[in-house]
Amino acid sequence: MRWREWSPPAITILVTLVAWEAWVVGFRVREYLLPAPSGILAVLAAEWRYLALHTGVTVYEILWGFFLSIVVGIPLAIVIVYSPVLERAIYPLLVAAQSVPKIAIGPLLIVWAGLGIFPKVLVAFLIAFFPVVIDTVAGLRSVEPEMLHLARSMGASEWRVFLKIRLPNALPNIFAGLKVAVTLAVVGAIVGEFIQADRGLGYALLQASAMLNTKLAFASILILAGIGTVLFVIVDWIERLLIPWHASQRVETAAGTL
Amino acid sequence: MRPFRAMLNGHKFVEVSDVVRVFATPEGEVRALDGVSFDVQQGEFLSIVGPSGCGKSTLAMLIAGLMRPSAGLVAVGGRTVDRPQTSLGIVFQNPVLLAWRSALDNVLLQVEMRGLDVRQYRHSAMELLASVGLEGFEKRLPHELSGGMKQRVAICRALIHDPPLLLMDEPFGALDALTRDQMTLDIQGICARGSKTVLFITHSITEAVFLSDRIIVMTPRPGRIDGIIDVEMPRPRRLAVREGPAFAAYTRQIRDRFMARGVLRDIEDPSPLAPLGGFPSPLASPRGCGSPLTPPSPPGGEGAAGA
Ligand SMILES: Nc1ncnc2c1ncn2[C@@H]1O[C@H](COP(=O)(O)OP(=O)(O)O)[C@@H](O)[C@H]1O
Ligand SMILES: [Mg+2]
Repeated sequence: MRWREWSPPAITILVTLVAWEAWVVGFRVREYLLPAPSGILAVLAAEWRYLALHTGVTVYEILWGFFLSIVVGIPLAIVIVYSPVLERAIYPLLVAAQSVPKIAIGPLLIVWAGLGIFPKVLVAFLIAFFPVVIDTVAGLRSVEPEMLHLARSMGASEWRVFLKIRLPNALPNIFAGLKVAVTLAVVGAIVGEFIQADRGLGYALLQASAMLNTKLAFASILILAGIGTVLFVIVDWIERLLIPWHASQRVETAAGTL
Repeated sequence: MRPFRAMLNGHKFVEVSDVVRVFATPEGEVRALDGVSFDVQQGEFLSIVGPSGCGKSTLAMLIAGLMRPSAGLVAVGGRTVDRPQTSLGIVFQNPVLLAWRSALDNVLLQVEMRGLDVRQYRHSAMELLASVGLEGFEKRLPHELSGGMKQRVAICRALIHDPPLLLMDEPFGALDALTRDQMTLDIQGICARGSKTVLFITHSITEAVFLSDRIIVMTPRPGRIDGIIDVEMPRPRRLAVREGPAFAAYTRQIRDRFMARGVLRDIEDPSPLAPLGGFPSPLASPRGCGSPLTPPSPPGGEGAAGA
């Protein structure tokens, strides 16, 4: 049963790698243009200390950016849902902030936030928090009006309604937002490092490319893809743990048992 | 609460006087209710029947205090309704259960939201579920229950705190005919046990006659009261009473009102459709063309050609 789930992607990846290797070897593609997978793996093994150092920095930035997008995004969404006045005040700002290309304000961020890790965290956060806000708002609003009528007829306080109805009801939406956010936080951290950095995978990637060390660049990209995938899987796993009742999960298990 | 109920026994429990409700919509004002007055006696089963859009749900919302009237007064238990009422149970057309809660926990939501001690109500929630045939389903999540079962859970949730008033707004509207029949019987059983005052909203004439002590017939929009019908048939009523002459007389009375208002329109002249001596057969009858219900069928018609 599990085999059916993981075999298609595994086969796809394997076939791609074999074809890639065959292409590079068969057509004698120059290494600085396109290295073979075996070459990339070799660099990964040889340079693992160097890569691990930069990976640690980037993961740190991503996690902080993601964390901030949650602790700012979800309360902001709650404020928007509960206060029409603040909604009208905040929404235009939010959309405007989202429309500004984050790379464009990169140089300013350095002026404001300095050269350390903080501006990278800030970019990761700025890119990631928008879907968290939007999806949480949608989730908190998706309670059936009849349910709210019932709650009022039960004499429930707004706090109880939030805790027992609105919040659990919003969880599927919140997690949809978090899944997008976590992958965007990866992008944000790299964008931040591209603007200015002296460490991190984005920095390593730029250095490697500048020196035409394409194998090392590919190794960095591979690690970035790995980080994104692992973080996504973790969020997905927490979602399954927290909301086993969610419809999309039910459909998946149903398909899995066919 | 109990001495209060005893005091009111046989008295007006719900009073609706000259209620008007107007909705402002982009297309202008919609007058949903226009001068509606009636009472519901303590312990009475009162149904409201009327066509879609005549303001039945609006009326329920007004009585529950979830909406204000534009004019007029609503009082429950002798008190003017000016805030959401809490000493009642409400059942809507949709069960609106919480997807992440079991049947039992959905019933107990009522208790939790009131800040009452859940442990004290657990046993009666189980009993209530068992009394509507849900024994063994207490731990099931809503998606594991049929439509009828979900609505039963919703009814239990409306009853767990033993409210003096039960408001039901087309509670069987989304169910199949067979389930509706069973639920109708179940509701009769549940309401016979206590001395509940029940306001039952439906567009099914049959359901209304079967369940009610009195029936309010509404006019199409703007909703007004067209007539109030006393249903005097012994209880408990079995499903078979629906085929009896008394039952037919009541349903006819309501149907006639609907026809007088144009809510229902019978076909013009039924005689060519039902000639004496049996049902018309479209194959046997050369006539019958032009009738809206029997499509013209040439001799040795499509049925034969298609076979
Ligand atoms: N919140 C609302 N806003 C605007 N119009 C409404 C609203 N609620 C009900 N109406 C209108 O009032 C009329 C009565 O509605 P309703 O009480 O739901 O009727 P019923 O339950 O009998 O079908 C309808 O025409 C409906 O469109
Ligand atoms: Mg209605």
